[in-house]
Amino acid sequence: MDSSSILDSLGVEIIGVMAPVSICMFLVVLLTYSLSVTSDPQIRTAANLIYIENPSDSATVKLEGSLLNAIVFVVLVAAVTFILVLLFYYNFTNFLKHYMRFSAFFVLGTMGGAIFLSIIQHFSIPVDSITCFILLFNFTILGTLSVFAGGIPIVLRQCYMVVMGIVVAAWFTKLPEWTTWFILVALALYDLVAVLAPGGPLKLLVELASSRDEELPAMVYEARPTVSSGNQGRNRGSSLRALVGAGAGGGVSDSGSVELQAVRNHDANQLGRGNSHNLDYNAVEVRDIDNVDGHGNEDRDVVERSPVVAISSEHSTTVGARGNIEDSDNVMDEEMSPLVELMGWGDNREEPRGLEESDNVVDISNRGIKLGLGDFIFYSVLVGRAAMYDLMTVYACYLAIISGLGCTLILLAVYNRALPALPISIMLGVVFYFLTRLLMEPFVVGMTTNLMMF
Amino acid sequence: MTVAAGIGYALVALGPSLSLFVSVISRKPFLILTVLSSTLLWLVSLIILSGLWRPFLPLKANVWWPYALLVVTSVCFQEGLRFLFWKVYKRLEDVLDSFADRISRPRLFLTDKLQIALAGGLGHGVAHAVFFCLSLLTPAFGPATFYVERCSKVPFFLISAIIALAFVTIHTFSMVIAFEGYAKGNRVDQVIVPVIHLAAGMLTLVNFASEGCVIGVPLLYLVASLTLVHCGKMVWQRLLETRNQSSASR
Repeated sequence: MDSSSILDSLGVEIIGVMAPVSICMFLVVLLTYSLSVTSDPQIRTAANLIYIENPSDSATVKLEGSLLNAIVFVVLVAAVTFILVLLFYYNFTNFLKHYMRFSAFFVLGTMGGAIFLSIIQHFSIPVDSITCFILLFNFTILGTLSVFAGGIPIVLRQCYMVVMGIVVAAWFTKLPEWTTWFILVALALYDLVAVLAPGGPLKLLVELASSRDEELPAMVYEARPTVSSGNQGRNRGSSLRALVGAGAGGGVSDSGSVELQAVRNHDANQLGRGNSHNLDYNAVEVRDIDNVDGHGNEDRDVVERSPVVAISSEHSTTVGARGNIEDSDNVMDEEMSPLVELMGWGDNREEPRGLEESDNVVDISNRGIKLGLGDFIFYSVLVGRAAMYDLMTVYACYLAIISGLGCTLILLAVYNRALPALPISIMLGVVFYFLTRLLMEPFVVGMTTNLMMF
Repeated sequence: MTVAAGIGYALVALGPSLSLFVSVISRKPFLILTVLSSTLLWLVSLIILSGLWRPFLPLKANVWWPYALLVVTSVCFQEGLRFLFWKVYKRLEDVLDSFADRISRPRLFLTDKLQIALAGGLGHGVAHAVFFCLSLLTPAFGPATFYVERCSKVPFFLISAIIALAFVTIHTFSMVIAFEGYAKGNRVDQVIVPVIHLAAGMLTLVNFASEGCVIGVPLLYLVASLTLVHCGKMVWQRLLETRNQSSASR
C-alpha cells in the first residue's frame, strides 16, 4: 500500500469546522456543570425586556412572556444589523474595526473575567488579586490583538474565537429556560430570513462587500487547512466540492461547474501586500472554465468571482453586565455572524486592503470555510441548556447540531453562496431535545436500572 | 463516589473505544464523519423505538416477558437498520470510487473498507455506551454510590459500565463482520450478526433474576469474545487472500 488512498484527506474541511464547534460545546457543558450556573431571574437584560420569568408562573403566562421576549430580542438584533449595514455603506469601516476591537476587549475582560473569578471561587484556587488582574489583562490584550491585527498565528486567533464563543455562550445560559428556547428558535428563523430573503440585512451586507471586493470587519472563525503548495493542494483542497459533484452527477461532469481545482495564483508584485494566496479555490462559475486547469506560472489575473466574498456581521446583543448595570441600555454589540461561507477569491486588485492583515508575509495557506461566531455561541447555548437537564439530552443535541452543520456544509458546497448556519442545526437540536426528554428518557432509564440493555 | 470514580466508570465503558478512536479513526477525517453519522443513526433508531414503546411504559418491574419483547423488537429493528446502513454505504462506496477515478487516485483499498466498517461499528458502540451507561453516571461524580437489589454485590455504575464495555465490543466488531458478509454474500456472516446481537440482548434478561448478573455478565463477555475472535479470523483471512492475489498478479 505505497500510494496513499483517497480516504486520507477526504473531509478535512468539514472536520476543520466541526472540531472547534465540538470543543466549544464541550467546554460550555463543562462550565455549566462545574459552575452550576443558575439562571438568576432578577437581572433585566436585553433578552428579558418584557417579561422576567418566574418559575412559579403558569404555562400560558410563561409562553406569552417568552414569546414577547424573543420577538423583542430579534427586533433589536435586526435593528442593530441595519445600523451596521448603513455604517458599512457609508464607508465607516475603520470605526467598525475599532468598535470590534473594543467589543472583543470588553467581552474578554469583563465577561471572561467574571467567569474566571467564579471558577477561582468555586475551586478555591489560591491566587492573589494583583496576579489575577495582570494575567487577565494580558489575556484580554492578546485576544484583542489576535482578532484584527496581523502577524498573529492563525492557531491563536482560532483559539481566541473559540474562547470568546465560550464566554458569551456561558453568559447566555444564565437566561431562564423558556426564554432561551424561544430566543433560539426566533434567531434561527431570523437568520434564515436575513441571509436568504432579498431585503435581509445580512444579504445586503454580503452583496455590498462583494461588490466592493472588500472584507467585512467581522468576527468569524476561519478554518484554514494549511496545505503546502503544489500538487497535493490541488487534490486536497477541492475534495469536498468534487465529491459532492461526483455524487450528484454520477461521475460524469462536463461542465466546470462542480469541478473545483486549485489554481495557482501568482502575483509576484503582491509581496508587499498582505493578502496574496498562492492557492485559491476556483469558483464554481462557468465562465472560469478556461482557467480551470491552473497553469503554473501565469501572472494573468484570475478573477475568481465567487459570489461570497466576506462574512457579514450581525450585531447581537449580549446580556448586560451583572450587578452595576440594571438597565437594558447597556446593549453590548458584538459582531458575530451566523453565516457560513466557502472562501475563494482572487485578490488581484490594487485596492487598499488595510482591513485585515497588514503583514508582509505571503500567505500560502488555503482559505477554508468560515463560520461566524454567532453560530458557535448559539450552538453552545443550546447544548448548555440541554446540559441543565441531563447528559442524554446533551449528546442528542450535540449530534443533532453536528449533523445540521454537516448538512449546511454540504449545501454550501452545492450552492456556493453565503448560507445561514443556524436554522437547520437549531431546529434539529430543539426537536431532538424534546424528543429525547419526552420519549427516550423513560425508555432507557427504565431498562438500564433493571440492567437490561441491547 | 467522587470525580475520580466517575471518570473511572466512564473509562471502563469507553476506554478501549477511546484508544481505538485516537489511534485509528482520528487520523482520517472521513472516518470521524462515519462515526458521527452511525452514532446519529443509532440515536434515531432509539428515539423511534422509544416512541413506539412509550404508551406501554413504565413496565412492571417483576414480570420479565414484556422486557423480553422489548429487547426482541429493538434488536430486530436495529438489525434492519444495519442493513439499510449497508445499502447507504454501498452507494457511498460507488461515489468514492468514481471520485477517485476522476482525480486519478487509486480506488478504495480493502483496509479502507474495513476501516469504514470499523468506524461505523464504533459509532454504534459509543452511542450505546453513552445512552445506556454514561448518561446515568452523573450521580457517580458525587459523594455516594448506588446499588440495585438485583445485583447487590457491585455498585450499579460499575456493573452497567462493564455491561456497556461488552456491548461496545459486540457492536464495533459485528459491524465489520456484517459488512464483509454483505459484501461477499456470505450467509454465515450475515446471519451470525443478528444472532449475536439477539443473544447478547437476551443474556441481559438473565440479570432480571436475583443475583443473575453473576451468571449473565460472564456469559455476555463470552459472546463478546466470540465476536472478536470471529471478526479477527475473518479479517485475517481476507487480508491473506488479498495479499496472495496481489502477489500472484504481479
